[in-house]
Amino acid sequence: MTDALVLKDVRKSYGQREAVHGVSFSVKEGEVFGLIGHNGAGKTTMLRMISTILKVTSGTITVYGHDVMREPDAVREIISYLPEDAGAYKDLTGRKYLEFIADFFTSGDKKNELVQKGIELADLGDRIDSKVDTYSKGMMRRLLIARAIMSSPKLAILDEVTSGLDVINAFEIREVIRGIAEQGMTVIMSSHNMFEVDMICDRVAMVDQGNVVEIGTPAELKEKYGKKTLEEVFVTVVKGA
Amino acid sequence: MSHLLNIVKKEVRELLTPGSVISIMVVIFLFMGLGGFIGGEIEKSAVLPVVGVGNYEEQTLEFDDGEWNVYDTIRGFYTSQGMSKEALDKSVIKIDMNNIEKDIKTYGISVAFIVDDNFKSNILNGIQGTVHQYYVYSPSGMINGSVSTAVADILIQNVNDDLSSHLMGSDDTKAAIKFLVNPITNGGTHTFINGQEYSDVTPAQLDEAMSSQTIMIPMIIMIIIMMIGSMVISSMGSEKENKTLETLLTMPIKRTTIVSGKILAAAIVGLVYGIAYMVGLRFYLNSILSIEGTSSIDLSKYGMALDTFDFVLLTLSMFLAIVCALGICMILGAFAKNFKSAQTMTLPLSLLAIIPMFITMFSGWYGSSMLMKGILFIIPFSHPMLASEALLNNDYTLVLAGIAYMMAFALISILVTVKLYKSDILITGLSQNKYIQKFRGKKI
Repeated sequence: MTDALVLKDVRKSYGQREAVHGVSFSVKEGEVFGLIGHNGAGKTTMLRMISTILKVTSGTITVYGHDVMREPDAVREIISYLPEDAGAYKDLTGRKYLEFIADFFTSGDKKNELVQKGIELADLGDRIDSKVDTYSKGMMRRLLIARAIMSSPKLAILDEVTSGLDVINAFEIREVIRGIAEQGMTVIMSSHNMFEVDMICDRVAMVDQGNVVEIGTPAELKEKYGKKTLEEVFVTVVKGA
Repeated sequence: MSHLLNIVKKEVRELLTPGSVISIMVVIFLFMGLGGFIGGEIEKSAVLPVVGVGNYEEQTLEFDDGEWNVYDTIRGFYTSQGMSKEALDKSVIKIDMNNIEKDIKTYGISVAFIVDDNFKSNILNGIQGTVHQYYVYSPSGMINGSVSTAVADILIQNVNDDLSSHLMGSDDTKAAIKFLVNPITNGGTHTFINGQEYSDVTPAQLDEAMSSQTIMIPMIIMIIIMMIGSMVISSMGSEKENKTLETLLTMPIKRTTIVSGKILAAAIVGLVYGIAYMVGLRFYLNSILSIEGTSSIDLSKYGMALDTFDFVLLTLSMFLAIVCALGICMILGAFAKNFKSAQTMTLPLSLLAIIPMFITMFSGWYGSSMLMKGILFIIPFSHPMLASEALLNNDYTLVLAGIAYMMAFALISILVTVKLYKSDILITGLSQNKYIQKFRGKKI
């Protein structure tokens, strides 16, 4: 299995404050990789660096062999990023929003096919033609997930994709992620929700204060620390309890 | 009370951000500067103008108490206003009858009084003597514009009254009372416009007509820039808040395309608004000007009307000014954290739009000092405001130089915006900048 994503000694400083301290890990092609950690641990910063919207202070990040600093345009061709609590353009309908995004990837009949795929993934029924500002949080997230994966990116970067969603919506979003993983798409996602990560991630990295403090499959980590849940493992790793 | 104080303190802290405090400071300094500028212009307009007098020597009248002529009378009036001898020699100039236009230009004369060849004989025969007024038209602002014509009328009235008092005291004259009261008649005005002499128009009339043509341009530009600027900055704030900008930045498109697309779209909307406002105001002004007694003169008769090419240049100038404004907005918007903070960012832009509007309305390009001209030229929004005035005066150099400057300004602002779009500032804001952190650290 080839490496879809490789981080080598990655550091990120905001002014005088270092938010990420020499992080290294890799994600295999077709893998669903989870970043777990508390608020401000550095998960979003890592995902933003991978997505090319924040600069890497030192170290390297490569996505399918393309360096995010030296070849950002090539990286953007093969990734899709869904920020935490993201929204869409409120004046557009769901369909128009998908058409707007599809325009960046293709045109003509292929664009129509892409939009149709997005509509199916969003599964919003007639509401796809309603204005986005009338959508509930769950509907919005479904639309944005559809937007993120309809172009079949090689690497989907999802930040806190189910945060704030009710049980049903969170379940359905997880089903979608599981579905795309089965199709071979590589996914890196961050989450507070250890249960969610345990269920859908092949491997996880535990992030604390800008460091990756543990990495492995959920089963490996639970076994290593002799805990029943990933949550317990995390608390043990971070707090030393 | 403590709860109220608590809420007030929190609200004040939220409202008085560093950005808003800086904006308030800029407003204070700006209005101080504008106050001084407008005061200076009003003061300048209140000073006695430089006048010329020609053909007066042969038309000198002799009375019991001495000789009387127009030149000495005006000098006497200026002296009575407290003017020194040195200043007097520079303010009341003898005109060479063979070089009226040249002398007016050389000495910076506002109005030249040329005494009619039959003045003396007419007066002696009880017929009103004629004094002609000569001008060289040069564009000026709202305040300066009509000064020379108004002062000329006052001076003629003074000369008239002075001669009248001499005539009334003379035993030799048996003229009618009407003549004694008004021995001088206005021989009409003669205005040189681009070397051509016109005898039916005064500079004040030209300024008035020109103002009616051009006064709406600065206002429209200011309104459009403030409106579009606010829209773009708010849109940037909104994009950041909704994180649609983050999504856009990870799309497979160049940053230059994102920035140019945003600017171009807003500029087109701005131009549509601008043209709509211009058409609307044109109808409004035409309605007012068509009311009896308020009709303006036909500038085309004096070679001062805008043709199709001029309108193309004016539209291009307006479009580029909007693009420049949007370039500034995109730079400011890059620092906006959210929709709310974006609102305070529009103030510097509004101020930049107000400065040229005031200057062009009060003194215009041609009536401004070198410093003011420099300030006007640097602010890109000035150029469409100046363009209409310049085009009416066939000054294509100023218009084309303005267009070239705005193109360069727009390009630089787009490049700066692209640079910002490639940096972390767009996502993290200024608070994470190392220089800002160092500054805050030192401040604490």
